[in-house]
Amino acid sequence: MKNGENYNGTSRRTFLKGIAASLLLAPFLKACQQKAAALIVKLTGTNHVLGHRLWAKNFPKPSQNIQIPYLIIGGGVSGLSAARLFNKKGIDDFLILEMESHIGGNSSNGENKHSKFPLGAHYLPVPNFHDKELLQFLEEEKIITGYTANGFPVFDEQQLSFSPQERLFYKNTWQEGLVPKFGNPQAVNDEFDRFFALMEAFRTEKGPDNRYYFDIPLSVGSTDARHRHLDTISMQQWLDENDFTSPEIGTYVNYCCRDDFGLGIAYISAWAGIHYFAARKHNAGDTKDNVLTWPEGNARLAHHLKKYTQGKTLLNYLAFDIDVSDDNVIVTAFDSDKQETVTITAQKVIIATPQFVNQYLLPNRKPIAKDFNYAPWLLATLTVSHLPDDESYPLCWDNVIFNGKGLGYIYDQHQNLKQIQDKKVITWYHSFSTANNKKARKELYSKSKEYWEAFVLSDLKAAHPGIENFVEEITIHRLGHGMISPVPGFLFGASKHEAAKSIANKLYFAHTDLSGISIFEEAFHQGINAVNNLLHDTAVDT
Amino acid sequence: MVKKFLRFEVLLLLAVFTIATCGLVYELVAGTLASYLLGDSVKQFSFIIGVYLFSMGVGSYFSKFITRNLLNTFIEIEILVGVIGGLSSAVLFVLFESVYYFQFILYLLVFITGCLVGLEIPLLMNILKDRVKFRDLVSNVFTFDYIGALLASILFPLVLVPQLGIMRTSLFFGMINISIAIMLCFILKNELKKPKLLRAKAIFSFLLLVVVFIFSDSILSFSEGKLYGENIIYTHATPYQRIVLTHNKSDYRLYLNNNLQFSSQDEYRYHEALVHPVMASAKKIDNILVLGGGDGLAVREILKYNDVKHITLVDLDEGMTNLFKTNTVLSGFNKGALNNPKVTVINSDAYIWAKDCKQQFDVAIIDFPDPSNYSLGKLYSLNFYRTLQNILTPEAVVVIQTTSPYFAPKSFWCINKTIQQVLPVTDAYHAYVPSFGEWGFTIAANSPTTKFSKVRRKVSGLRFYDYDFERLNDFAKDMKANDIEINRLDNQVLVRYFDEEWGKL
Repeated sequence: MKNGENYNGTSRRTFLKGIAASLLLAPFLKACQQKAAALIVKLTGTNHVLGHRLWAKNFPKPSQNIQIPYLIIGGGVSGLSAARLFNKKGIDDFLILEMESHIGGNSSNGENKHSKFPLGAHYLPVPNFHDKELLQFLEEEKIITGYTANGFPVFDEQQLSFSPQERLFYKNTWQEGLVPKFGNPQAVNDEFDRFFALMEAFRTEKGPDNRYYFDIPLSVGSTDARHRHLDTISMQQWLDENDFTSPEIGTYVNYCCRDDFGLGIAYISAWAGIHYFAARKHNAGDTKDNVLTWPEGNARLAHHLKKYTQGKTLLNYLAFDIDVSDDNVIVTAFDSDKQETVTITAQKVIIATPQFVNQYLLPNRKPIAKDFNYAPWLLATLTVSHLPDDESYPLCWDNVIFNGKGLGYIYDQHQNLKQIQDKKVITWYHSFSTANNKKARKELYSKSKEYWEAFVLSDLKAAHPGIENFVEEITIHRLGHGMISPVPGFLFGASKHEAAKSIANKLYFAHTDLSGISIFEEAFHQGINAVNNLLHDTAVDT
Repeated sequence: MVKKFLRFEVLLLLAVFTIATCGLVYELVAGTLASYLLGDSVKQFSFIIGVYLFSMGVGSYFSKFITRNLLNTFIEIEILVGVIGGLSSAVLFVLFESVYYFQFILYLLVFITGCLVGLEIPLLMNILKDRVKFRDLVSNVFTFDYIGALLASILFPLVLVPQLGIMRTSLFFGMINISIAIMLCFILKNELKKPKLLRAKAIFSFLLLVVVFIFSDSILSFSEGKLYGENIIYTHATPYQRIVLTHNKSDYRLYLNNNLQFSSQDEYRYHEALVHPVMASAKKIDNILVLGGGDGLAVREILKYNDVKHITLVDLDEGMTNLFKTNTVLSGFNKGALNNPKVTVINSDAYIWAKDCKQQFDVAIIDFPDPSNYSLGKLYSLNFYRTLQNILTPEAVVVIQTTSPYFAPKSFWCINKTIQQVLPVTDAYHAYVPSFGEWGFTIAANSPTTKFSKVRRKVSGLRFYDYDFERLNDFAKDMKANDIEINRLDNQVLVRYFDEEWGKL
C-alpha cells in the first residue's frame, strides 16, 4: 500500500525500524537456517495407484450384489450436482460411487493446524446473471443473502474474496492487479487496451438466436457457427494473426490459459482462450468481476452438495465395468476397503467420471478418449512463519509472479477475519504446459519430493528471497489428470459430441470434459443436464 | 630497485582503489539517508552526486597548493576521509530530528568528503610522477579509481545495507580506509616524515571508529529517542506491538508502533468525548463493551457512572492490558480501572470474539487503531458492524473512534456511511485534541427513537465534555466529503481513502 513515495515523519520511523531490523536479522536468520532442517515435506495426490488397476482389472470375483434404481459413478461436482437434482425431484433411491476416500473430486481440500487449503479448484467467479440455476443454488446455501431493488443478487461479504484481491510480481516489484502495467512502454499498454477492447466485443456479442457466442455453460451459447473457426487455431496463432506481438501480452494470456485450461497459448484453442475473457458477463450487480472463495476453495461448495448424498455414498469404490442389458445396467466395482468386488444392478446410471476412466468401463471408447487431453497439475501448500518480500504491495488473495514457472499462489487465510496470523499458509499452483501430457505426468510421479520442493521454492524465491528459511511444512499434491485442456478442434469436434451421447436410455454422461472447460459452473450444469435427460427419457418411456 | 618501486606503486594504487570505493560508499549512504529523511529520492540522489562530484573538483583544484610532504599529506587525508566519512552516518542519525540543520550538515559532510577524495588523486599522481611513466600513471590511477567505484555501487545495495545497515556500513568503510593508512604508515616508514606521529593519529582514528561501531545500537536507540523528541522512560515489545512511553516536563506520551496513542496532557479531551455522549444517551448502561482501548482510559471514564454493572474490554494484546494493570505509572493514568472488579479483560481478536459472543451489551465503545492497513480495515467493514449488531441490546448505543474529519474527511464519512447501513440512527461529532488535532467519532443507535442530544444521566467533574452534544455535532465545510462508498471486506475502500488522505500529509 505504501509505495515508498511518502517520506513523512512516520516513514522516517519506519526506516529506523528497518535499519534496526536489518541489524537484528543476522543472528535470527542463522537460527532459522538451522530450523529449516526440520522442514516437513509431504507428498499427496489422487489415488492413482488404485485408479491404474483399471488397466489390468485384476480384481476378485464379485461376492455381493446391490440393487438400486439410480446410480451415479463419480463423486466430483458433476456427480454431486446430479445428486442434488435427484433430491429436488423427490428421488432418493440412488447411490453414488467414489474411488477416493472422500467426495469432491477437483473440489477437495486438505487441512493443517493453521488453515484449510484447496487441493484443486479454489474459487467461483460471481455467476452470470442469467445463470438462474446456479444463483438458485447459491441462494440455498446462503452465499447469496438477498436481492437488491434492481433484482441483483447480494453476496455474503465474507464469501466474496476480500480486498486486496490480486497482485503481480512484475519488474522486481509487486503491483496491484494481474495485468502487467508498471513501467510499460506506451506501445505495450496500447496493445493491452486493444486486446481488452476486442474481448469486450466478444463478451457482448450475440448470435442470430439471441444467445451469447461465449457463455457459461458452453451449452447455452449461440448455435451459430460464426466464431467456430477460432477453435481450429491455437491462441498463439490468434494473437499472431491479430498482431499482438509484445512479450508482455503473450506472457499474460499464456498465464490465463495455463491457469484455466492447464496448457498455454501454444496448445489451447483460440476459441477457448477467448472464452476465458469473454464468457463472464459481470452483469450480476455491483460485485463486478469479484469471485467467491473460501480457505478450502471449492471444497466448500462440494461440502454443501454433500448433504444430498448422505447415507448414499460408497467411498473407496472403483467402478471398473459397465454392462448394459435390455432390462438394466450392471456395474461392477471394487471395494478397496474390504478388498472385494460387488455388482450393482441399476435401472439408470449417470457416469460422472472423466473419459480417460470411461474408456476402461465401457467397450469401444478408446478412439473417443484419445482426443481428450488432460494437463497434469501440481499444488504445493506451504506453511511459513514469515513471507519475506519487498512490501511494495500487501499480500493478496491471489499472488502471481510474472513469467514464473508456476501460476502463483493463493493466500489460504485471506478470508480469515483475524488481525494477525502466527503462520501463513499459501497454496502454489503449477500446470505442466507441454505438448506431451503423458510425459509430463510421468515426470510428476517419478520425481522425488525433494525435487518438487526445490522446484517450488526456486519459483517463489524470485519474489520472496530467503523464503526457504521460513518454510515449516510443504504438502505437494499431484493431480495426474488435473483438468480437460481444450486443444484446437476439441470443443466442436466429433469425439466430445460422441462421448456425451447417452446410451440405450440407460447411461447418461456428466463431466466437465464433456463441456471442454473445467470450471465449477460446467460441472454443476453437467449434473443437472444428465438428471434432466434421464428423467425426460424416463417420462417418455412410461 | 625495480621491485621496490613496484611495491610502492601497487600500494598507492591500492590506496586509490580503497578511497574510490569508500568515497562512493559515503556518497551512497548520504544519498540513502537523505532520500529516506527528506523524501524525493531522485532529487536527493541527484543533488548528492552533484555536490560530491563538484567538491571533488574543488579538492583537485586545491591539490596544486600542496607541494611539500606529499606522502604524509596523502596518508593524513586518507585518515581524515575515513574519520569523516565513517562517522557521517552516525552524525546524521543523531541529527535526524533537526531537519533544518540536517540538510546543511548532510551537504557539508558530502562536500568535505568529496574535497578530500578530490585531493587524493592529483596528490597521488604528483607523488608517483617521477617514478612511473606518465601514460601508465594516468591509466593505472583512473582504472583503480573507477573499478573501486563499480565495486562500491554493487556491494552497497546487495550486501552492505542488508547485512550491516546504513550506519555500520559507513563505519566499516571508515575502518577500511584508515587501515590502509595504517598499513602505509608501517610499510613506507622510511619515506615518511615523523612516521610515529602519523601512525598514532591513524591508530587513534581507527579505535574511535571501532568504539562507535560497537555502540552503534545505542546510537540508534538514542536517535530513536531524539525522534520522539522526548525522553523514553519505558519501552516494551509485545508480540503485536512496540510500546514506548516518553516523558517530557509534565507530559507523558504513549506510542504504539511509533504512533501516538495518547498524551497525558490532553487525553481527557479524547476519552471524555469518546465515552460520555453514549453513556449519557443510552437507555440502559448495565453492560458496557469496550473494543480496543487496552490502555484502560476509556474504562476509567465509564467507571465514573455508578450504575454500570459490568464492563467487558476486548483487546488483542495481553502485553498491553497487563502493562496497564500492573505498571504503576501506567495504571496511574487509568486510575487502576483495569483492576476494578466490574471489569473483565479479554485478550482476543475482537472480530472473532464478536462472532462467537452470545452476550448483548447496552453500550459499545469502539476504540480501534486507525484503518491504516487491510487487516485493521476489516474492523471497520459492513460485515463487522453486522456482527456487532448481533451483540447489541435493542436500545443499545455505539460510538466508534473514526480518525480525523479534518485530515481524512473521506475516511471519516466512509465509516459513518458504512454503519448507517446497519444501525437505524447514526450521527457524528468531533473534538479538538491538541496532540492529535481535530478528531472525530461516529455515534449510532440500534433503536430509531434514540436521541443523542438527550441527556439521561450525568457525572460531575468532567474537564471537557459538558453534555451539550449539539456543540460537538457541527461540521465545517472543510470536514465534509461527498460521494463516499461503503466499506466492505471485498472492497476495503476505507483503507484506500485513508492511505490517500494521510499519505498526502
